[in-house]
Amino acid sequence: MSPHAEIERVWPRDGRIRLVGALHGHTPGGAAESWQLLLVRRDHGDERLRYDAPLDGARFDASLPVDDLALDGPPSAVWDLYLSSGPGPGELRLRAGRHLDDIRGKKKIMVFPAQSVTTDEYGTVVRPFYTVSDNLSVECASGEVPPHYWEVENPEWVD
Amino acid sequence: MRIRYLLLHAYGTGGTIRTVMNQANALVARGHDVELVSVLRHRDEVRFPLDPRVRVTSLIDERGTADGADDAGPHAGGGAPPAEGWRAALGARRDAALARSRPELVPAGEFGARYFNRYVERTVARHLRQTTGDVLVSTRPALNVLAARYAPRSMVRVAQEHMNLSVHRADVRKAIAAHYPAFDAVAVLTERDRAEYAALLPRTRVVRIPNAVHSLDQQPADHGSRIAVAAGRLYPQKGFDLLLPAFRQVVERHPDWQLRIFGVGERKGELRALIEELHLYNHVFLMGHTSRLDDELAKASLYVLSSRFEGLPMVMIEAMAHGLPVVGFDCPTGPSDVLTDGREGILVPPEDVEALAGAMSRLMGDRALREKLGAAALRTARDYSPAEVHPRWESLFSELLGAAPGGTERER
Repeated sequence: MSPHAEIERVWPRDGRIRLVGALHGHTPGGAAESWQLLLVRRDHGDERLRYDAPLDGARFDASLPVDDLALDGPPSAVWDLYLSSGPGPGELRLRAGRHLDDIRGKKKIMVFPAQSVTTDEYGTVVRPFYTVSDNLSVECASGEVPPHYWEVENPEWVD
Repeated sequence: MRIRYLLLHAYGTGGTIRTVMNQANALVARGHDVELVSVLRHRDEVRFPLDPRVRVTSLIDERGTADGADDAGPHAGGGAPPAEGWRAALGARRDAALARSRPELVPAGEFGARYFNRYVERTVARHLRQTTGDVLVSTRPALNVLAARYAPRSMVRVAQEHMNLSVHRADVRKAIAAHYPAFDAVAVLTERDRAEYAALLPRTRVVRIPNAVHSLDQQPADHGSRIAVAAGRLYPQKGFDLLLPAFRQVVERHPDWQLRIFGVGERKGELRALIEELHLYNHVFLMGHTSRLDDELAKASLYVLSSRFEGLPMVMIEAMAHGLPVVGFDCPTGPSDVLTDGREGILVPPEDVEALAGAMSRLMGDRALREKLGAAALRTARDYSPAEVHPRWESLFSELLGAAPGGTERER
């Protein structure tokens, strides 16, 4: 398994997306404070977002506000997630993903909720997802999260 | 012996279909002539391993139409009523009219009633009248009623019941009482079922033959993983909507455990929404269908059964064959027909979410207990081995053939 940022938990809630995990296949040097969570817009490599993600040993616990993507970002986009050793020459980027367990095809199995951000003009939903390669990305799409079933009718669990 | 099985849909993926195919494989391997007759057909291939010597024929081919009797198992009945489908393709006006009429014999409360109408009944009746062979086995109430009425008296006729009597609606129980006395034997899955059907059918022979697990030669679980597994159709009967809130309570104390639910079904969207509402998306995974359930069970450390009712919970017994301890609701003809609380697992009152959480938590915190209960589970699963179960069908059929008037004649 090549070096990557192994994801253990993803918490898309309360307006943020929080990622918990550990670097795998790479032993970080001294500058634990300089590590960042890096988002790179797919097919637009020059569009990047960075958030502080100081390491604890090899472990990380980082988050970002979905507003940054929903309000300030393009209405429709995919962002690929990395752990970065920090900007500048010699930057090391480790792709975030979940590869160390036995579950293949996470795209359809480990599915996360979307969060909705609505302004007067438009609504955007932001949802983390595993790619077909079990890497973690975030998708933004215009629209709103449809109401859950319990908000529109009583579930008929027993017929 | 020439043995004929009558199935609603041999091409689906339900538990009845799987167990009938296991029986057919075992009987054909013993040198008998076995044919499966599927009332409906909407797929090219059967979905479970079937010995090529077993012939499969179908009466109504709905391939290429909008109908789908997929998973027309004992609990089929949810979802929308079938569209026009094969009915629209019927040429004769009389057939088309029959296909739109309510069935005459099949009670409306049969869970598969939506697949029946007078055209289907007439097609099945015609087939039954011409059937030749020694033994006819019909496999669900709708087909049992038709077999009781139309199958030749020259054959030994056996009705299989894969459901507990109390699960059937009143009109189905009434039809059972009226028609099943025509059978040479009624075969049920559990001892409790045997007693209940025998009370309803005092002059009919009722035998208990459980379903067999497909193998006892399984990779044992080592009880060290932090994986709980559940399996079944994503449907209210399986109670996954109760399991999720129970697991929510457990995860606070055992955050490194995960729950894997194997199966597909029409309530997947609701379950996914409930996972999101309970913030369980890091701990509970809807795994979908797997063709390698054996491997998945071997990775787990405990099996959870959250059903509201069962017939005979076969996947639970498959899990026990891997040495997995069971946590489950003590539901009608559920785990307590197979195992004893405290010996192979922990049983709690039906639909008691708190108690289910407590039992899971207890096992998650105690590997030695998982090992102890798991070892007992493996011993109990041996009663359901193919070597134990399949010869019982052969002896039942031989015995009935021999005992029937003119039995030797039938042997031809």
